[in-house]
Amino acid sequence: MDKELPRMNSGSEHGFGLLAAGLEGQPVREQFAPDLFEDTTLVSAARDGDRAAFGRLYDRYARMVHGVLLAKVPLGEVDDLVQDVFVLALRRLSTLREVGSFGAWLAAIARNLAMDYHRRAAPEDQLTADLSENDTEHPMFNDEHEGAAAAILEAIRSLPEAYREPLILRLVEGMTGPEIATRTGLTPGSVRVNLHRGMQQLRERLGPSSNSSNPEQKRP
Amino acid sequence: MEAGNNETKKELQAMGNEYLWDGSGEPDPEIQRLEALLGRFQYNRPRPAFPEIVLAKRWRFFLPHMQLFPALAAVAAVAAVGVVVFLMNGRKPNRPPGWDVSAVEGTPRVGRKAISGKEGSGRLGVGQTLETDLQARARLRADEIGQIEVEPGTRLRLLNMGSELKRIALDRGTIHTFIWAPPGQFVVDTPSAVAVDLGCAYTLQVDDTGAGLVRTSLGWVGFKLKGRESFIPAGAACVTRPRVGPGTPYFEDASSEYRSALMRFDFEDSTPEQRSKDLAIVLARARQRDALTLWHLLARVDEPQRATVYGHLEKLDPPPSGVTREGVLSLDQHMLDLWWNELGFDDISVWRYWERSWSGAAPQANGK
Repeated sequence: MDKELPRMNSGSEHGFGLLAAGLEGQPVREQFAPDLFEDTTLVSAARDGDRAAFGRLYDRYARMVHGVLLAKVPLGEVDDLVQDVFVLALRRLSTLREVGSFGAWLAAIARNLAMDYHRRAAPEDQLTADLSENDTEHPMFNDEHEGAAAAILEAIRSLPEAYREPLILRLVEGMTGPEIATRTGLTPGSVRVNLHRGMQQLRERLGPSSNSSNPEQKRP
Repeated sequence: MEAGNNETKKELQAMGNEYLWDGSGEPDPEIQRLEALLGRFQYNRPRPAFPEIVLAKRWRFFLPHMQLFPALAAVAAVAAVGVVVFLMNGRKPNRPPGWDVSAVEGTPRVGRKAISGKEGSGRLGVGQTLETDLQARARLRADEIGQIEVEPGTRLRLLNMGSELKRIALDRGTIHTFIWAPPGQFVVDTPSAVAVDLGCAYTLQVDDTGAGLVRTSLGWVGFKLKGRESFIPAGAACVTRPRVGPGTPYFEDASSEYRSALMRFDFEDSTPEQRSKDLAIVLARARQRDALTLWHLLARVDEPQRATVYGHLEKLDPPPSGVTREGVLSLDQHMLDLWWNELGFDDISVWRYWERSWSGAAPQANGK
């Protein structure tokens, strides 16, 4: 069987019209094709020893890496871990076989470093509690808005794992859904579904004031 | 089919919050509020000094001195470049593929070579075996793949270190894996199933009978023997038995009665009445997150029981548009996959893609 990129089960063969709804992968990939082409050029140059090219990759992917980490580790640890991810990636760049998979590869390194952080930092069964305690007591939260922001961040991080990353990348890092898909290597359909479902759950957790302005309908 | 299309369109319209998707369309005030509050956490650190910058500083330090002695400077420059290249590559040229092995405790063995002491280290090459006795622990590391902690009483073999597939066989014992290779590239054969890393960390145990247990701590793992497959997300576990393959995955915080019933259902040679009784216990005690277990059971129960499982799963997590009762009861793979994606564990298309990639290489697991 021919290899093909993983794609959302679009159902287009059933005539469901997902293309028009933005769930089909191809239009987003085409939209970001120049970006992806430039990325592969930068990755190739970096592999050949061009550190400036790697620096430009950092500029393009740092927010994505930050978002992936923020979904998993305490806020105060994230910035340092972002640096660690890129240093590790720089060291291992020669082992990356598919230059077009740089984003997915980088995201995997970030997720694994986050896991490694927890293995070193605390017993597994205390991870969730530690995340919450470390962040809400962070000294930077010294006014009402900051406290509210920290509480919302915690609410996002209490959602199922599949929803955390896309929501943080969208709401914190300011990336669009298509950009999230392109940068992380996930399918656009998967990102869209997880954004939608994650947002539904987040509204529920944030309470009635949030739901009152909810334009999305809860599934029956 | 027309009805199904309409349902799907309704679902897609409900999902059609274009502002959430790409910032276009009518602004959603709640999302705008969240963006404004959470934007303070956005990453804005400048680009750090990567090794090239450190390197440039070193050269500036050396250059004034080197101008005094041109010949010496040339020799020193060549030597310095050699050292830098060596340090940056961090590996010996033409090194055969394999894993670096270090002793954490006791004396692990690679083949007949003992690895011991504080400086104890070695290399596990393709075709070689690593064994730890009851007092030994070892650590395997490969820069491009990940790290494996090996517990006492373990025997594993390195089968393959190809560019697309890294494969080991765990004959017995316990390993803790932390993999950073792309999903699907790291595969562990056990006597009763094949474990495929899908971007995660997990613990895999195999006892002397060949029975196994996988416990996932991050991401998810695919467990497969022939046509029987299980997906184990973080917090879940799955037992596997020779000649049967992977059982039904469950979350480890489920009740003992729930897990016992599931074990009997999966592996005991029970009467149909007993199986129905065990299934009833599982269904009655299933919590929201146990949709994981019920989704797997759809393909593992007899046809008359499937409708019952469907009914319970539907209550826990309703199927998305495009998934019909009839389709699920006839085990339509596309619909089952859509429903799995709805459960929120991960996108199953990653597994389908990699399954096609590696299923050509026959697993060693054969129920011996």
